[in-house]
Amino acid sequence: MSLRRRDFLKLTAAGPVAFAAAATLPTSAHASPAPDNAFDDAYGVLVDTTFCIGCRKCEWGCNEANDVPRRARTEFDDKSVTTVHRRPDATAYTVVNQIAAPPETPQPVYAKVQCMHCNHPACASACIVGALRKQPEGPVTYDAWKCIGCRYCMVACPFQIPGYEYAKALQPRVMKCGFCAERIIKEGRKPACVENCPNEALTFGRRRELRSLAHQKAVASPGRYLDHLYGETEVGGTSWLYLTGVDFARADLPPLGSRPVPELTEKIQHGVFKNFVPPLALFGLLGLVMASQHSGENGGK
Amino acid sequence: MSPTFRRLAWGIVVLSALHAPALRAQKVQTEAEQRSHMEMMKLDCRQCHTCESPTTTTPCLMACPRLTVAQSSGKHVVSEAPESMVLDKLADQYQGVQFDHKLHAGMAEMNTSCSTCHHFCPPGKIPACVSCHSIEANEQNLRQPSLKGAYHRQCMNCHREWSHDTDCNVCHLPVGKYAQAHDKTDPTDIMGKAHPVVVAPKMKSYVTPYAKGPVVTFYHEEHIELFGLRCVDCHQKENCSYCHDLSKPQAQKKTMEQVHSLCSSCHQNAKCSKCHDTVERPAFSHASTGWSVGRFHSRLECRACHPTGKRISKVNRDCTSCHGGWNQSNFRHAVTGLQLDETHASAECADCHENRHYNLKPTCAGCHDDKRDFKAVPPGKYVTVSRKR
Repeated sequence: MSLRRRDFLKLTAAGPVAFAAAATLPTSAHASPAPDNAFDDAYGVLVDTTFCIGCRKCEWGCNEANDVPRRARTEFDDKSVTTVHRRPDATAYTVVNQIAAPPETPQPVYAKVQCMHCNHPACASACIVGALRKQPEGPVTYDAWKCIGCRYCMVACPFQIPGYEYAKALQPRVMKCGFCAERIIKEGRKPACVENCPNEALTFGRRRELRSLAHQKAVASPGRYLDHLYGETEVGGTSWLYLTGVDFARADLPPLGSRPVPELTEKIQHGVFKNFVPPLALFGLLGLVMASQHSGENGGK
Repeated sequence: MSPTFRRLAWGIVVLSALHAPALRAQKVQTEAEQRSHMEMMKLDCRQCHTCESPTTTTPCLMACPRLTVAQSSGKHVVSEAPESMVLDKLADQYQGVQFDHKLHAGMAEMNTSCSTCHHFCPPGKIPACVSCHSIEANEQNLRQPSLKGAYHRQCMNCHREWSHDTDCNVCHLPVGKYAQAHDKTDPTDIMGKAHPVVVAPKMKSYVTPYAKGPVVTFYHEEHIELFGLRCVDCHQKENCSYCHDLSKPQAQKKTMEQVHSLCSSCHQNAKCSKCHDTVERPAFSHASTGWSVGRFHSRLECRACHPTGKRISKVNRDCTSCHGGWNQSNFRHAVTGLQLDETHASAECADCHENRHYNLKPTCAGCHDDKRDFKAVPPGKYVTVSRKR
């Protein structure tokens, strides 16, 4: 048997693809999987945007509680900045924006933006050194000591949350909301933004209870809320949930499917190396090909 | 069965028989309470209670009846509430708020009344906010805001509507380390100043585009005093922003229906000429109906004689149609200005008032043949009657 170089390349290329396809096929069979409620007993926050008055007290609380450049309290009194669309960055873990609402909406609508703390965080999946981790209590935390500054997490995040300290020449960090993890887990307190919200637009609690609370609210006041709890199924569920009165698709809550972002890549990558069977099979196959070629040459002589 | 056990069993039977009336009495009382709740507040049990048979000891009340119980029992008046109060239960970062209750209650009268804020008013004393909304958030009931959330939601809901401002120092002054950073408040700010008294107009005259009768004369005072309308019957949704929000867009032109809806809700099927005229009309006078209400009848509300609701119906002018129960022994004649002497006081009403027609001239001919006149020879003495109400 004579194997030409072209055929050999075809064969070697087809092998892993076939394995990858075999690994991913079962998942692509169900288009909308049931929401993953693995973190239902973990902490979460329900953002009721209908109660948000855009006062920026959450920003102030966040600024005081975290290791970010300290700002004067009076800076947060300036409400005009909410009309310009802002994003969380290396200096602010959370920002409040005014949302483009239908003209008949009597009051301006605001939405607080911060890390959603996904149940299946793409940032943590993309992180090659494990600096980002989903804690069993809910927060997605960051370990600056492990971080090598590759910024894959920033590319991976479906909400484009992580910021980076570009201005720092030495030891720049990835900057994102950490859900005040120490504060809520060790001290048993609420996150700083939740504690500071005067209108209690933010409710801190177990995700399961928050989900039921949100559904109760939506059923009780159908005129006030859209029948959509954002974050319940989006990207496989998030610890932060949003209850809204207007469509937020144009704002910072993009329409995302219910499949976790890292699902496909993790399936392929983990599938390729599962129990070391696929590599062994591939190299075994290659060995067979080589052996058959070798024996063919011998037989021809 | 052992004797001891038998005695015990009998004891239980006798005791429970003795207790039965007491148990029944308790049940009756509960039923009475249920009835009063339902009649006063027109509620279904399930709107407040979660279990089948609530009692005073285990009322199994819902955690927050806000969405189901909007109306109060209507027994409270603003004057019984304090004029102002200081909300200072959370005064660690900011000073307590001087809250002018009277002012806010006055404004709420033009809107959705007391229940705008007091959304849960069981019969009796109105509960303080803190009696439901605890200072620390209720972990068991995440739906119920803590006191901080409850206050802010109530206040900010309206305040941001007209002032478009969510600054803390609109109501609070910062304390402690934040006090230094606080800007001086705007001297033109109306907060903390008493609202000028809104003077209700006596009469308003409108010029309308209706050619046949451009002038509509509306007697405001009359509608309140005579017809007993409440402010909120006509002035609906007139909240702060109705007057104070200067940034709101110009009001859209109202349709014919919208313009007339306030009047037509009572004046149903009325002709145009009911209100429209070419000149200003005089105020309503009962004399124009052919019956001038005197000293006593003017004290009555319209509905005392015209009880059929919104439509004013004709009333039988015969006195006995209302005052059928009067006779010489229970009617104090002095209130008419004439105190009968002893002889006449014992006479029957019909002796002077023919067929008991009190609105006609009384006659003396029933007893006296001398054709005397009751004015010239009075059957008693004339007295001055106090005209005070």
